[in-house]
Amino acid sequence: MSASILFPIAAALLIPFIPDAGDGKRVRWYALGVALTTFLLTVGGYLNGYDPSVEGLQLVERVQWLPSLGLAWSVGADGISMPLILLTSFITALAALAAWPVTFKPKLFFFLLLAMDGGQIAVFAVQDMLLFFLAWELELLPVYLLLAIWGGKKRQYAATKFILYTAGSSLFILVVGLAMAFYGGGTPSFEYTVLMAKDFSTKFQLFAYAGLLIAFGVKLPIVPLHTWLPDAHGEATAPVHMLLAGILLKMGGYALLRFNVQLLPEGHAQFAPLLVVLGVVNIIYAALTSFAQRNLKRKIAYSSISHMGFVLIGIGSFSALGTSGAMLQMISHGLIGASLFFLVGATYDRTHTLQLDEMGGVGQTMRKMFALWTICSLASLALPGMSGFVSELMVFTGFVTSEAYSLSFRIVMAALAAVGVILTPVYLLSMLREIFFGKENAELASHTHLVDAEPREIYVVSCLLVPIVGIGLYPRIMTDTYRASIEALVQRETTALAKVIQPPPGDLIRQPLLVAPPLPA
Amino acid sequence: MPSAAELAWLIPVLPLAGACLTGLGLISFNRTVNRLRKPVAWLLISCVGAAAVLSYAVLAQQLAGAGPTEVLFNWASAGTFNLQMGFRVDALGAVMLSLVTTIAVLVMVYSDGYMAHDKGYVRFFTYLALFSSSMLGLVISPNLLEIYVFWELVGMCSYLLVGFWYDRDGAANAAQKAFVVNRVGDFGLLLGILGLFWATGSFGFEEIGSRLQEAVAGGSLSNAAAILLCLLVFMGPMAKSAQFPLHVWLPDAMEGPTPISALIHAATMVAAGVFLVARLQPVYEPFPAVQATIAVIGTITLFLGASIALTQMDLKKGLAYSTVSQLGYMMLAMGCGAPVAGMFHLVTHAFFKAMLFLGSGSVIHAMEEVVGHEPVLAQDMRLMGGLRKFMPITSTTFFIGCIAISGIPPLAGFWSKDEILGVAFGQFPILWVAGFVTAGMTAFYMFRLYFLTFEGEFRGGDKAMAAQLMAAAGKTAEDHGDDHGHSEDRGHSQAKHPHESGWQMAMPLAVLAVPSALIGLLGTPWNSRFGNLLDPQEAAEVAEHFSWGEFLPLAGASVGISVAGISVAVLAYALHKLDLGTAVAARFPAVNAFLANKWYLDAINDKLFVQGSRKLARQVLEVDSKVVDGVVNLTGLVTLGSGEGLKYFETGRAQFYALIVFGGVIALVVLFGSLG
Repeated sequence: MSASILFPIAAALLIPFIPDAGDGKRVRWYALGVALTTFLLTVGGYLNGYDPSVEGLQLVERVQWLPSLGLAWSVGADGISMPLILLTSFITALAALAAWPVTFKPKLFFFLLLAMDGGQIAVFAVQDMLLFFLAWELELLPVYLLLAIWGGKKRQYAATKFILYTAGSSLFILVVGLAMAFYGGGTPSFEYTVLMAKDFSTKFQLFAYAGLLIAFGVKLPIVPLHTWLPDAHGEATAPVHMLLAGILLKMGGYALLRFNVQLLPEGHAQFAPLLVVLGVVNIIYAALTSFAQRNLKRKIAYSSISHMGFVLIGIGSFSALGTSGAMLQMISHGLIGASLFFLVGATYDRTHTLQLDEMGGVGQTMRKMFALWTICSLASLALPGMSGFVSELMVFTGFVTSEAYSLSFRIVMAALAAVGVILTPVYLLSMLREIFFGKENAELASHTHLVDAEPREIYVVSCLLVPIVGIGLYPRIMTDTYRASIEALVQRETTALAKVIQPPPGDLIRQPLLVAPPLPA
Repeated sequence: MPSAAELAWLIPVLPLAGACLTGLGLISFNRTVNRLRKPVAWLLISCVGAAAVLSYAVLAQQLAGAGPTEVLFNWASAGTFNLQMGFRVDALGAVMLSLVTTIAVLVMVYSDGYMAHDKGYVRFFTYLALFSSSMLGLVISPNLLEIYVFWELVGMCSYLLVGFWYDRDGAANAAQKAFVVNRVGDFGLLLGILGLFWATGSFGFEEIGSRLQEAVAGGSLSNAAAILLCLLVFMGPMAKSAQFPLHVWLPDAMEGPTPISALIHAATMVAAGVFLVARLQPVYEPFPAVQATIAVIGTITLFLGASIALTQMDLKKGLAYSTVSQLGYMMLAMGCGAPVAGMFHLVTHAFFKAMLFLGSGSVIHAMEEVVGHEPVLAQDMRLMGGLRKFMPITSTTFFIGCIAISGIPPLAGFWSKDEILGVAFGQFPILWVAGFVTAGMTAFYMFRLYFLTFEGEFRGGDKAMAAQLMAAAGKTAEDHGDDHGHSEDRGHSQAKHPHESGWQMAMPLAVLAVPSALIGLLGTPWNSRFGNLLDPQEAAEVAEHFSWGEFLPLAGASVGISVAGISVAVLAYALHKLDLGTAVAARFPAVNAFLANKWYLDAINDKLFVQGSRKLARQVLEVDSKVVDGVVNLTGLVTLGSGEGLKYFETGRAQFYALIVFGGVIALVVLFGSLG
């Protein structure tokens, strides 16, 4: 596990010494090789050392680092992190392939790409809160530079906004982490296992939970903390995009599960209704903004926010099915979001505009591109047979059948979330119509050369589509890898729910339920 | 040797495999695959053909009295939940399987002629196979969840096929409209499915039915809630089967190629809603309020469809509204608690309506030779007339279709429609009146179509009328004919008069004419073989209580009103003795405008939902960029102390700040370390 973190970083450090004519041809092969090797390392780790039926940590590696601090290099993986580690190394390898056309400062670009790879795997793999914070911060710098150097016209503004948001919010992680480590006296320790064993008071949990929610809410993002995302996405280049949408957003969801739910179950019991409400707000609000948006990149960026709403609902659902759905939605959106953003980049390379008004009828000359776009959009609007459908369905079913909420709350929230089911095709299909359908835009055709998709692009998208369809057809290939961990997690939060005595404001939880007839076993 | 029922899973899988193969080929080796027209067509036709053979085997087994077969496996699981998938074959499914595969094969053969000159020939066949596969999957689904899966997939195929000529704006809009309107229905369907799952813990039809009844009887679920759930589920069929007010997408969907209109938007997919309601009978039966709602909606739809069809000038749109109307009849039957009658009408309608649509396609194909490849001209009946002389096969089969749909015995439509009207008469006499009147309107508008198209003088050379039509459609003469890639040999397209279509198109018409004429005889009320298959008990009861004294007056009345409708059409359009334009339309301009504007439903939808949602979305975006972003940015500014801070950042020194933050963190860590 350590190898898959350290290998890309070490390899990245070698990049400056690669003799290169300056056009980056050799560097990009090197980077692709490294990213692929990392992917194979994680897959190897998964196949050899990981048993999906065990709920606890596996592949643990532990080295004392600063004993006085209680800081140890300890990494490992359980059901919550393993799929995301695989996703990270997979998307990064594809992003390296997607970065083929990068010719401006290629060495630095690929260096940052690989550094990010290691940093992101570290975020998911580390088992120590302080280490987590370091990895979280460490991964910000490459993103910042990737945005600030290779972005669009307003890249400085976007990059600054990004770093201020995330760095600012991550201070909460540090503060909460320190507080948790020192809580109750004794030798401070940041390790998850130690923290999990601690019995925090409910009040402490509430404060800690609120702090972490802000920190991770920026990352996920939760409306209204989302405004950095359209800016950052709007300016980023395609490979950076894939990483932002594919992995970065998942860090927020992962951290919510890891800290807020696992370490602070009582806080979660109080806050969960809020998560559900925020999730619904995310879905509808972002879908509407996406519909009105005229810039292609920002449109897809808002659609990402909308999809993350399902993650929130799933996390707040108090059911194994819903939480699994949230997990699957993260993976599925990682794949679908990455493919859509890759296509946005590929389209921009040809049309040199992102304004929908300036496109139109592009489908005449770019037939394969049209086909790929259609497939990915359909995946994004949760067409059955693709992963998005399964995850949204699991979230819905899990939430509706959850016994933790009163019936009326469930009905209202499910109905509102289902409005997203109508809104998503509205904006995605309008987008397709405006880009590809109709007569060719004469002005666009006059000053651009629209070539159809090249084999490399088809390859990248099909690599992403294979798991999307695979999960869609038989979701258990993915859900079984984390089933045990999620069930243990939900067990933990349900016991905590029972411990919370006072009903929270609004009496959303633990009202006398309108009980459905007992289910036959 | 496994029995046919156990192999039923192959029925949807075969076309799917074919579609995937050519689809992948299209994406990876576009040029090569596009050149392999005939091999691809043969491959896909034989895939669907094999599925058809299997379906007949399954049907034969069911006829021999085999029971239902169900095979399930765990598809997704978490906690104690297991979502199961699999397939189920029973009499209802077997009938639908045979119907869908038969019509799919015929339509594919027909398409070989119709799409012969289209650039997207291979893509078209791929979509067709994909659609067949999804539709067949829907038919053999054992539970609501799996139905929902395939329900969405057929919706997607419909989207792809309606938007097939993606360079036409009309097609693009229609495709999107079809998908979104269907999603509105699916919204209800999804919520309903979830709700029923919550209430009963199951997705299976019979289980839901029995447990829902128990729950209501046991008092754990209120009657109103159960009715609400049932109606939510019904929203899905409402959209898919084009029931009022969600029918608006179907007439627009005629922008797709005509074989598609025949297969998807007349015979199979739109019938999926009716099929689902038939499947859900065990759930709906205990709730009379639900049944009544379904019946009323069916009645509104059947009347609305027929009334709008009265004034349509576009051949395909006329047929489309007639489809809406006939779907209304099927829903009415379902609402009357007579799924067998509804399914019977579904089957007969599928044959004659597919034939009518394919016939209209043959007409359009022929008209394009004369007026060019412009749908506004080629589909308008004001430019047709006298085609019987040029197209004997098409006109004969179309004529058979018209008699069948009008309900003249012994053709198919008579038996099935009369059965529905008979049931309605017993259950809801008021609704029967509407259905009865509509039967007359049906006969009138169908024969109006027939006379305008096939009788009288050929008007294709009327340039003034053509120019007027183009102007009305808002197109200029320059657009004429060059806005889609339907033909590559436009050079000699301006023929003097149309010709009969080739064998690929004529053969399916002739084949479909046989069941259109005869299949009704399987469902005679005194010995309904169809009823025996689907519900032997009920069929036996009906046959026992059958008396000519009850049957003849009702049947005579429906035949009478049909004949009356046909007579009016003959007087007005064949003999020109009656000028409806001055006699009716001029006297009631409001009614005429109301019908010509399709009850103003499109306008209302546009104002209320399309413009409304756009406006709302723009406002939300405004709030997002001004208020939310503004507040956050302001906070940022305040934190930094002054506006100078941001300026400083924008000069590119932010790395510096990031380093400070990072350094600060390290310092804190060390500080805490030394303290601890």
